[in-house]
This record gives sequence, structure tokens and C-alpha cells, in this order.
Amino acid sequence: MLFSQARKRDVVNTTTATRVARVDGFVVLPGPARVALLRLGKVSGVGTLLSWEDLQGFGPDAVTVASDTVIRPARDAVEQRAEDGDLEIMGKRVLTERGMELGPVTDVDFDPETGEVTSLITKTDAISGRRLVGLGGYAVVVSA
Amino acid sequence: MTTPAPMLLLRASELAGRPVVTLGGELVAEVKDIIFERTGGRIAGFTLRNPGLFSRSRKDSLPWSGVHGVGRDAVMVSDETVLIAAKELAPRKQAHNADVLEDRVLTDNGQDLGRVVDVVLHSGTSLDVVGYEVQASEALGTAGRRVFIPLPDTVAVSGENLIVPATATEFVSEDLAGFGAAVGAFRARLREGAS
Repeated sequence: MLFSQARKRDVVNTTTATRVARVDGFVVLPGPARVALLRLGKVSGVGTLLSWEDLQGFGPDAVTVASDTVIRPARDAVEQRAEDGDLEIMGKRVLTERGMELGPVTDVDFDPETGEVTSLITKTDAISGRRLVGLGGYAVVVSA
Repeated sequence: MTTPAPMLLLRASELAGRPVVTLGGELVAEVKDIIFERTGGRIAGFTLRNPGLFSRSRKDSLPWSGVHGVGRDAVMVSDETVLIAAKELAPRKQAHNADVLEDRVLTDNGQDLGRVVDVVLHSGTSLDVVGYEVQASEALGTAGRRVFIPLPDTVAVSGENLIVPATATEFVSEDLAGFGAAVGAFRARLREGAS
């Protein structure tokens, strides 16, 4: 599934059967490349983060959770940067570890079952998620 | 695991202003200047400045040993811990990018080939000086044009005049793309001559 398709999907509480938020973005972490958190919008509380482990399911029509309490604020500095959008992967420049730029990330393909990032997509390439070395405020770094 | 890097030639002037980026994707600094080792045609490291328009020089610098990779678009480092104090990198007056520019290139039989306008680097397991871009003199058939002159693998990069073997004139290139092969051929010739 592509990030571009999965964005704006509703987050539904299966206990109350109500819509509790909307997916605004994805926080990818390396080693192995995976969706670690979802960034949410239209939330009722203060927090906007949702850990991948706390999902019930990432379905074709909605993301499901068992309780609203799993939607939470950042727990550490990295999560705070993620919540602020500083670590957003979409649109970020890709650099190889040899210092060659491959253009911005236009989309990301991931496995909705596991959260595994299978490929980073640029205008010209599909880069295997296994090549992801690091993701910071400036660049997405991939092995050469 | 990784495939060998292709032969990558860069002009030293292109590296100034290049971002220094960690493997974690964070911008650390920008390259300010390139510091050459006094002999041997190698790069000792880079002085740094803070990124941005009104950037300031920094007191730390990047030694070559801390560089993970140098490409056309960035200088990669594992993390910020590889930086050292600038005075450790260049303790005294060091050969310096700017010092080589405008120097005259003389062959060992006394021909003036022109003035240095840039330094050509090869980025591999180390970053080596492999040639000069020169504003060609009358001695070359391409007077007034910019050409690339290969260097032997051991050479002092600074001095009043830069002395190159006369055979270097046979391996002059007019474009950087063809220059990699010229450097290889020139150095092979020198090794033949030495044996």
C-alpha cells in the first residue's frame, strides 16, 4: 500500500464504532525500515501519535484501534520531532551514503500487515526499504 | 555488500558549500575549504562553516578519516563525533586550496603549461588529487582554453611553481569525463618508466 493512498484514512475506535481521528502522515524509522508511528489529525485530545503496535488493523477503508487512549503525545525527543513533522519522509531528499542525491521521496510503499517499508519511490527509482540507513531532518540516507 | 564506487572525479571548487550530512540524515555543516596534506596529493580534511546565507566559520573541522563518502551532492559522515578542532587539522600554515590556484604549472623540462584554475579530485577509498584544471598556455595546442593535466600519484600540491613530468602533456584532456582514463594511462606510463 502507498502512503499517498493511505493518507486521510479514518481512524475508527472499534469499541465505540466512532471515528476518532484521521491519518495525516507516517513516521518511518530505519533498521529495519518500518512505519513506527502514524501522525494523526482531527484528534480530540492533545496527542497526535499512534504507535504501529497499538493498531488493531490497517484496512483498505479504515485504520482501527481498540481504544482512544492509544492516541498519545510524543514520549521522547525523536518522537517530538516526528510529531512536529521534522522527520516527514515524503518530499525529503534522498542521499546515498556516497553523497549522491537521488531526488525527493514522492511516495513510500509499505506492507499494511506488518508496517514494513518495502520501497521508497522517487521520480526515477524505486529504492528497496532494506537500503534505508537513516532518516533525519535534512535527508533520507540509503546505502549505495 | 556494497558495489564498488564508480570512478568519480570532482573539482575541488565544487566541494565548497557542499552539505556535510550524517548517515542519520542530519545536516551538520557546510564545507568551507579543503585542506591538502603538505605532500602526497591527498586531502587532510575540510574546514567547516554553518549552513545558510550568513554562515559563520566554525572552530571544528572534518578530518579525512571521519569521512564516510564524498559525492557530487554531499559529504557524508557517520555522525558528529568525527569532527575535531580546526587547529588539530591544520596546525601550522598548510597547503590550501586557494594557495594552489593561480600557480604556474611547469614541466620538468621547463615548459609553462598555464595557470591552475581548479584542482581535480578522485573520490574513492581516499580523496586524492589527480590533476589540475589549467588555463592553457601557448605551450599547449589549446592555448586560452581550460584543460585538465594529470598528476603523478605522489606530488607536493603547493609551491611557487607546480612541477609535472613532461609526459603529462601527452595526457591532457579537454573534458572531465575523459580525464579519468587519461590519469590512469599517465600513471601507468610513469610506472613503466620507473621500472
